[in-house]
Amino acid sequence: MNRARIFLTGVGGQGTLTATTLLARTALDAGLPVTSGEIHGMAQRGGVVESTLLIGGYRSARISQGEADVLLGFELLETLRALPMLKRGGHVVSNAEAIQPVGVCLGRECYPPLEAVLETARGFAASVVMVPAISLAEQAGTAKAANIVLLGAAAACGALPFDVAALVRSVEKYLKPKIVPLNLKALELGAQAAAAGQAA
Amino acid sequence: MGKELLTAAAGETLLLLGNEAIVRGTLEGGVRFVTCYPGTPSSEVPDAFFRLSQGAPYYFEYSVNEKVALEVAGGATLAGLPCLVTMKHVGVNVAADPLMTLAYVSAPGGLVLLSADDPGCHSSQNEQDNRLYARLGGLPCFEPATAQECKDMARDALALSRELETPVLLRTTTRINHVRGPVVAGELPRDVAPKPFVKNPARFVPLPASARPMHERLLGVLEVAREKAEASPYNTERGQGAIGFVCSGVARNYLSDVLAEDGLEGTVRVLELGMTYPLPENRIAEFLGKCRTVVIVEELEPVLENEIRALAQKRGISVAIIGKGEHLPRRGEYATTNVRAAVNAVLGRETPAADTLAVPGDLPKRPPNLCAGCPHRAAYYAVREVFGDDAVYSSDIGCYTLGFLPPFRAADFLLCMGSSISAGAGFARASGKPVVAFIGDSTFFHSGITGLIDAVAYNHDILVVILDNRTTAMTGHQPNPGVDTTIFGENPNPVDLQALIRACGIEPVKVNPLNHKATVAALQAFAAQKGPRVLVAEYPCPIHARRVGQAKKTPPARVVGDPETCLAVRDNLACPAFAMEAGVFTINEEQCDGCMYCVQLSAAIKPGKKEAR
Repeated sequence: MNRARIFLTGVGGQGTLTATTLLARTALDAGLPVTSGEIHGMAQRGGVVESTLLIGGYRSARISQGEADVLLGFELLETLRALPMLKRGGHVVSNAEAIQPVGVCLGRECYPPLEAVLETARGFAASVVMVPAISLAEQAGTAKAANIVLLGAAAACGALPFDVAALVRSVEKYLKPKIVPLNLKALELGAQAAAAGQAA
Repeated sequence: MGKELLTAAAGETLLLLGNEAIVRGTLEGGVRFVTCYPGTPSSEVPDAFFRLSQGAPYYFEYSVNEKVALEVAGGATLAGLPCLVTMKHVGVNVAADPLMTLAYVSAPGGLVLLSADDPGCHSSQNEQDNRLYARLGGLPCFEPATAQECKDMARDALALSRELETPVLLRTTTRINHVRGPVVAGELPRDVAPKPFVKNPARFVPLPASARPMHERLLGVLEVAREKAEASPYNTERGQGAIGFVCSGVARNYLSDVLAEDGLEGTVRVLELGMTYPLPENRIAEFLGKCRTVVIVEELEPVLENEIRALAQKRGISVAIIGKGEHLPRRGEYATTNVRAAVNAVLGRETPAADTLAVPGDLPKRPPNLCAGCPHRAAYYAVREVFGDDAVYSSDIGCYTLGFLPPFRAADFLLCMGSSISAGAGFARASGKPVVAFIGDSTFFHSGITGLIDAVAYNHDILVVILDNRTTAMTGHQPNPGVDTTIFGENPNPVDLQALIRACGIEPVKVNPLNHKATVAALQAFAAQKGPRVLVAEYPCPIHARRVGQAKKTPPARVVGDPETCLAVRDNLACPAFAMEAGVFTINEEQCDGCMYCVQLSAAIKPGKKEAR
């Protein structure tokens, strides 16, 4: 894969923008042309945070509906909400776990089941990989590393134009030394989970 | 992004946000004086200058508002320093008064005004097109479309401004401010000498007699700038054929991607404009002459379109010009989808039907929300308790605009920054209804205080609630004149908010909004009174407090009694830390900030144990 439009979505505070920048640096270090975009502002108050990464020589950093080769969903409901961005034959890599929005917390709205994502994407997406990113991140040391777990999963299942080893190099190069071991563990757990999920 | 902006050597490739690239670009252009009022999508520019300001080769301030920012920098450029002034698009309205005369008076040291426009209203109250300000005020205008161009054009805009001694507009849009891409750094100048100020009132004081020749001089400057635009490397042409596209801003990217993806690159003519005002008329006329049909691709207003239509008429060029219409609307953002439709329409090609997944329309929403522990939530709860739906709520611009949402519904109307007091006063005068105006501390300093003076002068019947969270929270916790602390420590020159209100002629009542009983009592006393009244609800934003290391470590609240008795608190306070687990009300300990407000509202909720934190 030399060209890819990657759409990333999650919830404010999940580190989706950190993950996006890490991917952009990885692509740049791999010698791939890259442009990336992010929309924030009101989003940081617990709202949806969306970002994009376009690799391989695109000029626009915006992704329209039906254009994403890869959808990286850091939260299950946001993955479902963003499915219209996916291109036919694209790949979905998603956190299988929920961060409940306020309406669900207060019992006014119902959180959709995991199957809703799988069923909607079936026959349209080339693959859908689900990993319990928050639980795995906790296993690595902190729930905050769920973003890195998801990157590990995405690289391991071939959804990104570089491999897990390239992400390992980026984590070592660009994250603060103190949190490197934890995030390397998160990458590894994500990669393992994706491999297991694909095999199943 | 840290020190690299100040230290990266020429030739180094940096991965930069568009806004960071603008910082680097103006530094390469020798900027020595930076003022701003923060506002999305411009804020990362001043925030980077602020973070790097200690020991840096420039002066920086978060000005009180955009008008002040432009005036302070207007003085600095007269004193000979290269200046940058940054704001969001609607901020330029606030700065419009000095802006309309600045180009008459001139900018000897150089001055670039960054206007960050927001097509699509991602975080703004309108999507006005500030390219029109370039025309209105007589400012040459650059419109970058990539991170590299943000850097290069910022540098060159400042150089042009210094050369022509005239202010220059750097006009961006949200997608460009927040693009992230590789940027090759250039040289940083070592010494930038101020141009000495030579007294010359006839040049710098626009009395009617001097303003008339000043205007004539400006029109001459713009003709020189037009020649620069004719030769500008940012205006480029490619392709062949009888069909042409003229594009600017982010639309250049969409057109390029569509042509490349659909195999059309090279089969049509493209004129990309990066320096868009004054219009490079010869260059455009030459392009028009080679085409049978030309499509103008620009977001928002038909600015280029109208000017190019006029040019074709003036030069007698026979060419069909397609602009705003079915595929190229006058509102919202563009994308590859609508640009592709426009390209296909003019080429007589079919546009394939969209092949996308549909998802249920009734998915749970995830609206931005006031944070757990936010003092605004407590203030709104108390105001609702006292005034309910009887009062009309005049809102303002900040995090607290989120009080618009249920359960508070504490925003009935809003115009712009600082309008809550004055618009509320007018509403009260005209309707006779009780009006409560909400305004934050930064917005009050920005332009609320003039409304308060008016309310005192004309005895308007309004209760003003100043939601004083000791920072400018919405745009990223920038300092304002009233703050106690910044990331660099104590604010050495705080402006006393309450003394200011007192000086206007009102004795304010100050409460801690997280003290429910005291806040309700103060509001009830105010409800019985007439005339202008001010409640200062003061408590630091918890995010800001954490950032400056002043957060109080308090245990989370816990449901200890019957959860069923907490349901009214759940519904009326709607804190993000509240949750239902298996149908039972509970408080999420991870989310809870420990503000202890809900504890005051229900006997079934108590503070948890200290060690839980």
